Amino acid sequence: MEKIIEIVFSGFYTGAIYALIALGFVLIFKSTGILNFAQGELCMIGAFICYNFATLFNWPYLLSFMTAVAIGVLVGVLIDILIFRRMVGEPIYSTIMMTIGLASILTSVTGLIWGHDFFSIRSPFMGRTTALAGMVFSRAALWTLGVSIVLFALFILFFRKARLGVALRGTAEDADAAGLMGINVKKMHMVAWALGSFVAVVAGIFLAEQSFVYSGMRHTGIKAMSAAILGGLDSIGGAIIGGFVVGIVESFAASYLSGLEIGSFHFGDVKDVIAFAIMIVVLMIRPYGIFGKEKVERV
Amino acid sequence: MLKITNLETTYKDVILALRGISLQVPSSKIVTLLGANGAGKTTTINTVSGIRKSLELKIEDGTIEFNGEIINEKEPSEVVSRGILQVPEGRRVFAELTVEENLIIGSYSLSNKRKFVQNMDTVVGYFPILKERRRQPAGYLSGGEQQMLVIGRALMAEPKLIMMDEPSLGLAPILVREIFRIIKRINAAEDVAILLVEQNASVALSIAHYGYVLENGRIVMDGPSEVLRQDRDIREFYLGLTEVGTKKSFREVKHYKRRKRWLS
Ligand SMILES: Nc1ncnc2c1ncn2[C@@H]1O[C@H](COP(=O)(O)OP(=O)(O)OP(=O)(O)O)[C@@H](O)[C@H]1O
Ligand SMILES: [Mg+2]
Repeated sequence: MEKIIEIVFSGFYTGAIYALIALGFVLIFKSTGILNFAQGELCMIGAFICYNFATLFNWPYLLSFMTAVAIGVLVGVLIDILIFRRMVGEPIYSTIMMTIGLASILTSVTGLIWGHDFFSIRSPFMGRTTALAGMVFSRAALWTLGVSIVLFALFILFFRKARLGVALRGTAEDADAAGLMGINVKKMHMVAWALGSFVAVVAGIFLAEQSFVYSGMRHTGIKAMSAAILGGLDSIGGAIIGGFVVGIVESFAASYLSGLEIGSFHFGDVKDVIAFAIMIVVLMIRPYGIFGKEKVERV
Repeated sequence: MLKITNLETTYKDVILALRGISLQVPSSKIVTLLGANGAGKTTTINTVSGIRKSLELKIEDGTIEFNGEIINEKEPSEVVSRGILQVPEGRRVFAELTVEENLIIGSYSLSNKRKFVQNMDTVVGYFPILKERRRQPAGYLSGGEQQMLVIGRALMAEPKLIMMDEPSLGLAPILVREIFRIIKRINAAEDVAILLVEQNASVALSIAHYGYVLENGRIVMDGPSEVLRQDRDIREFYLGLTEVGTKKSFREVKHYKRRKRWLS
């Protein structure tokens, strides 16, 4: 039983990070129609910036965290203003190519500034644990889960209750009609990029806490994208649930398959492809994801 | 209040849609713009609203003036902030949003957010059904209720001028009469001018003060409603049953399809 709780908990831990990144995909895709393949790269630079302040500059952890988030949001806004504002309404393959190009630019810039080593963020959670109901949990995991759950709740409230949140949903559904109601559509796209980068940076810092700060962490972005597609690319709740589903399945796969070996085949490696496997199966059954809606077609 | 002079517009730089039209909407009046399919009615009001980029619509010549200011190049949100609201063709409710959220978006251009409650009261005063349905997704409303919602949504912004694009489209005659009665009441009570785009000439002329007839991007006739109602050509082409009758039923079929997909 304890083992199951442990597996589920660690699944939720990783799942929260996937869910944050997936949420970023959905926010940007739903609002602007752009499938951002640079979402993992935004996580990566967020983690590097936090590392820069917390470890290199010795700033307090929370201050470094906030600064990284602020800079990340600024980067997201700049990406929108400099690149994607002009690309709204262009065919999806050309915007996807732009985001892939952007991803490699962000990766090279990161390499140029910080190099290609493994680093870690100096944080108050490093290696520390908390005992709860006779079990031992890592503080980093509790912190990650706590903050993520608060963020998800805030996002859901924001989209239900705040005028800006409602305006964002309206713009996502019908940008021209939103413009006719006096909503500045460009500003809404900018807000979507800001929010999408915000969750990406937070996820990147959490991810670094779980392993390291290194350029390979960007690949988590693609895994989170499969979580987002799994949930339905246009559903915020779906992205969050998709993230947790992938995290938990991965966690079970890792723990039950890791000892298993037949010849040179290590079943434990299945963990890293399981997200894609689930995505493929779900898309075969429900092409628009579990919570996604069929695209509304206009005559 | 709204004054359009020699307006000429193209789609994609080559398709000439409006060939130099001039029209005026005085404050607090209802003016109707009549015309058959493809005459250029929607083009006219979209040009005023400033949704040009996504349609590849461009002003080649002429001016659009609102209260003395030329608004040719304004963005949609700037046009709205001047008090010009559009109720678009085919209703265009935000189907995934609730009725209340649709109205919240309607009030988005107001700087004073407290006015929401007050304006909401005004709107449900005209359309009580919207209050009952306020927590439902707008996509589940009937066609008539959706038409009420989009008119209410525009009213939330305290407009000086509402441009309505074929509010009668796809609605049963009894409902059309009801909605037009309410439009007339809104015009009188809220002191708002209305530019009423219609194919249904008889009902439009019954509430309008003045009318223009658009054909192939040109104004071919204009005059006070009483005069237009007596005109022989108008009687034949717009008030006659056969031709308009068939056109309308075609539009209804098309619209029914659109609504069905919208909800699926
Ligand atoms: N997006 C577009 N691109 C190219 N041409 C267009 C576009 N929209 C309209 N047109 C053309 O411009 C002309 C005027 O169209 P418009 O939609 O303004 O007519 P309408 O009077 O509103 O007709 P309806 O009663 O059918 O709504 C038509 O010939 C139409 O084919
Ligand atoms: Mg039209």
